[in-house]
Amino acid sequence: MSQHAVSFSGVEKTYRRPRLLGAAYHTAVKDLSFEIPAGEVTGLLGLNGAGKTTIMKLICGLLFPDAGRVKVFGHAPSGSEAKAKVGFLPELPYFPPQVRPTQALEYYGRLSGLSGAALDAAVEAAMRKTGLEPHAGKRVSEFSKGMLQRLGLAQALLHSPDLLILDEPVSGLDPLAIHDIRQLLAAISAEGRTIFLSSHSISEVEKLCGRVFIMVRGRLERTVRKAEWEAAPGGLEAIFVEAVR
Amino acid sequence: MKKVLSLVWTVSANAFAENVRNRFFTIFAVFAFAAIYASVLAGVMAVDQEARVLADFGLTLMELTALAYALFNASSVLLREAETKTIYLVFSRPVPRWAYLAGKLAGSLLTSALMLAVMGLMHLLLLKLRGFGVPPAYAWALFGSLLKLAVITSFAYFVSLFSTSAVSTLVISGIFWTAGHFAAETRFLAEQSAGAKSLALNAAIWLIPNLQLFNARDAAGFISPAAFLSAAAWTAGSYLGALWLVSRKEF
Repeated sequence: MSQHAVSFSGVEKTYRRPRLLGAAYHTAVKDLSFEIPAGEVTGLLGLNGAGKTTIMKLICGLLFPDAGRVKVFGHAPSGSEAKAKVGFLPELPYFPPQVRPTQALEYYGRLSGLSGAALDAAVEAAMRKTGLEPHAGKRVSEFSKGMLQRLGLAQALLHSPDLLILDEPVSGLDPLAIHDIRQLLAAISAEGRTIFLSSHSISEVEKLCGRVFIMVRGRLERTVRKAEWEAAPGGLEAIFVEAVR
Repeated sequence: MKKVLSLVWTVSANAFAENVRNRFFTIFAVFAFAAIYASVLAGVMAVDQEARVLADFGLTLMELTALAYALFNASSVLLREAETKTIYLVFSRPVPRWAYLAGKLAGSLLTSALMLAVMGLMHLLLLKLRGFGVPPAYAWALFGSLLKLAVITSFAYFVSLFSTSAVSTLVISGIFWTAGHFAAETRFLAEQSAGAKSLALNAAIWLIPNLQLFNARDAAGFISPAAFLSAAAWTAGSYLGALWLVSRKEF
């Protein structure tokens, strides 16, 4: 296994939006280089439009870089070797309202190459870990936002990925759900898996991560280690505010 | 290979289940029943040609109903998956894009086949109630409709990947379907014309499938191997075009 779960080297991504005459271009990330060591929990902070989601999509192979190189465990992100090791939770995941959580998980489990007894065991484990077991009989249409987020996390955990990419995992959740998800992520991290998460909640990032990237207008402004923000007056929030201002 | 084929099956079974669960499918099924019933009324008015009118009118309505559903589904399914981010959960997994597209297309065609089968049974039941048997070449006629739907559905998938909205996909595919029923007329006009007009009409002959080939009851009472090959070629061509676009598409 590569010692870096993710590596970005001089990555640039520009979006092109067609207009009536010509097109509008927006550079989401520019000259971006960083590494995420395997087994670490790394956070990504930034204001809206800083390029957080773009980075996550580049890692998952949903976007292709215009320049530079992205590697996931030493492989190209669009290849099946990399994708087999990644679990992705997008912001506000959607599931068809008529299905039950186990049906949705069985579908995504099969897409991850699971079948038979292994699939049943993976679905059961994901339901248990995310606290969805008592709601197995409900349909997704009856789910609250917190339960949907848990289901999103369950689908990302199904195939026991080595790398979890979580886009705003605690967005819009109540304090109890946030607490449960934090506990779950801590347990996953203790198993030696790599977690890369983006969030607007600085306190959550502080509690979960060992290292944080601060993005400003598509550039990596600062990399902050836990020891630094623990020693800084005002903690991570003060460092973040100073970086983005 | 077995693993990838299993992925295609998983995507198609899920697409089929979603389509059947979709409220629009129910609406179309109710509409189909009402339309077939209306064909019985039309048959009564046809006096001595009642059996023929009942069969032709019913088959036409079935094809149009299935076409409307297939076009609605094919023009919106990829767009909807991208808008709801469902596609993120698929393409962040080791699912080849060709397998996903093939699965979605197969799911749509299975839905069309089910719609035609259910409507066909309703139609035959209504015919029996009126005292008529199974019309000649009935199964071939339904199979011909399914081949047309395969051609138009794969074309709509292709168009949906570059058009700006589901409505524009519907319109373009609708024009394609209509033009496909005037292949003989287009050929006749191409032979009669000259210059740029002839060039344009000859190009249209190559760029638009001859859907009249699939009207089994107008032809020899069955679908010829040439028609079957034509459907396979057009479906495969549109699929490959869609695959070329989807493999470059970012989400």
